[in-house]
Amino acid sequence: MVAEIALTSAPSRGAAKGGLTAAMLQMAWRAVEFRIALFVFAALVLLSLVGPFVFHVSATDFNIMQRFLPPMPLGGSSWPHVLGTDQLGRDLFVRSLIGLRNALFIGITSVVGMFVVGSAIGLTAGYMGRWADLVLMRITDAQMSIPVVILAITILGVSRPTPASIIAVLILAGWPAYARVTRSVTLAERQKEYVRAAKILGASDLRIVVLHIAPNILPPAAFVAVLDVARMMIFEAIFGFIGIGIQPPTPTFGTIIADGTQYLLNAWWITTAPGLLLAITLASINIMGGTLERARNKILQGIG
Amino acid sequence: MVFALDFFARRLGQGAVIVLLVAFLIFTLLRIVPGDPVRIILGPMTPPSVMEQTARELGLRDPIPVQFFGYLGHVLRGDLGHSFIRSAQGGNTGGSRGDTTHENQNRASVAGLILHTLPYTLQLAGMGVLFALLIAFPLGLAAGLNAGRWPDKIALYASSVMVSLPNIWLGVVFILLFSAKTGWLPAIGYKGFAYTILPALVLAIELAPVMMRSIAVSVAGNVLENYVDVGEVRGLSRWMIVTRHVIRNAAIPLLNLFGVQLIGMLLGGLFVVEYIFSYPGLGLLTINSVFQRDFPVIQAVAILASCILVAINMLVDFAATNIDRRLQY
Repeated sequence: MVAEIALTSAPSRGAAKGGLTAAMLQMAWRAVEFRIALFVFAALVLLSLVGPFVFHVSATDFNIMQRFLPPMPLGGSSWPHVLGTDQLGRDLFVRSLIGLRNALFIGITSVVGMFVVGSAIGLTAGYMGRWADLVLMRITDAQMSIPVVILAITILGVSRPTPASIIAVLILAGWPAYARVTRSVTLAERQKEYVRAAKILGASDLRIVVLHIAPNILPPAAFVAVLDVARMMIFEAIFGFIGIGIQPPTPTFGTIIADGTQYLLNAWWITTAPGLLLAITLASINIMGGTLERARNKILQGIG
Repeated sequence: MVFALDFFARRLGQGAVIVLLVAFLIFTLLRIVPGDPVRIILGPMTPPSVMEQTARELGLRDPIPVQFFGYLGHVLRGDLGHSFIRSAQGGNTGGSRGDTTHENQNRASVAGLILHTLPYTLQLAGMGVLFALLIAFPLGLAAGLNAGRWPDKIALYASSVMVSLPNIWLGVVFILLFSAKTGWLPAIGYKGFAYTILPALVLAIELAPVMMRSIAVSVAGNVLENYVDVGEVRGLSRWMIVTRHVIRNAAIPLLNLFGVQLIGMLLGGLFVVEYIFSYPGLGLLTINSVFQRDFPVIQAVAILASCILVAINMLVDFAATNIDRRLQY
């Protein structure tokens, strides 16, 4: 959410419908790393959706006979416990996949939510100007003056955390960044010829904002939102680690890692193996997001 | 000078309103969620009549606005109150001792708790930012000046990897590798300066990618500007153009980032990292206070954090307006 400069210098040749967005996607697709990351990400999503059914292993049943099994290539491991088992003999691979599914769900839902809320507020503030701008931006400032984690810990720590409340907290914490960027771009966009032209033709403010300004400025912001999905997944893991995420017995990365820290020395894989799976997922999302962001910057600056 | 006075007069007023709003929000939030702190203060075996009496003495049964303005009066006089849970000697008293009364003299003052933990947190934050700058500035600058070539690629891959490592996992892996297996660095708690290094590294790896990416984007954008070509025509060396002009112009968006986003990230990161490493700073104090429903501590930390963010916001905007007078606030 930092490339405001790049965004505001957008040439107004985005008039051709979807031209810019399509060009950005094409440019990103040309990068090899984007295709690799997309493939890895798609594979992981597929695995998290069908994996738990394919392996026929429960994620929550204890099996004391099979506890502390090491991950696959090491001696003492047994099929199908690819990533080994934890202190209660639960299969870590299936637990991680279910954790991944939960993390993805919370990450994507919360980013969509904060994007919608933040963009709507930013567009309104930037286009209306005057008192609407002042009031909305002061609210944004106030919101930005509470760090996400303090807010989240306070709300989730004193109430009972559910997936819905976790998503709500993340949206509450994340929308101001989108509002700020959208507002600053809208401020610049409002001055442009095509907006004046639409006004002279008699278009209503709502029509100008929704049909003309929003399609020009939102897709580039949406590309960067991909990066936020990864950030929100990390937050979900942090909440689980502190004990204010989705509650056990539902596995999440945070609870798996927190549980495993007690057995760090004799069973290091309980914390490290699931975390590695999370890190690979996050890396694939971040590489896709990063490539999209760079494609956007290049095209907006007119180099591509 | 007049400009500065006008600016600060307006922004201080707005800032005070923001801090008040934040304080009221947290204050109300803590009181409307279920869970009675008196039960935790006095323990589960206390008779209900004693609990009611203590709650009334603490003012917890008054209407929320009455409580809030009473609290605000104390804060304005410099009194942040006393912890519900922690004793003045340091340990927890919550319920375990079978106390049936609650006297302020036996409880640690919130200001004291904060002053005691703040230096540890500042030390950790300072080291974290220093490590992050050491990683991010050279890589980011090299990437920005060579957009599209190999330094840019290296910076991109490095930041993609760093941003993908969840801090909770990285902290545990660092403890495993550098502390548990090899014994190179101490990790849990605080008994000396060495205890800061591992948490600061985890913090730095969290902060560095954001810094690096924005340094690179900002520098790359400025290199394309006309003034760089003009500088070359004027016969300035590449070094002069970069140090005198590009870095200065690239600094405006960076200031914004360093102010708002980074301080926010830093505060959040500190909490988590302190929790992972049991580092006795403000973050650990706050997390424990939330679980113990120690309202006075949570409120004070929230007010402190929002004061810091408001102040940083104001200074950043002031600096940005001073560098580029076209910006208006």
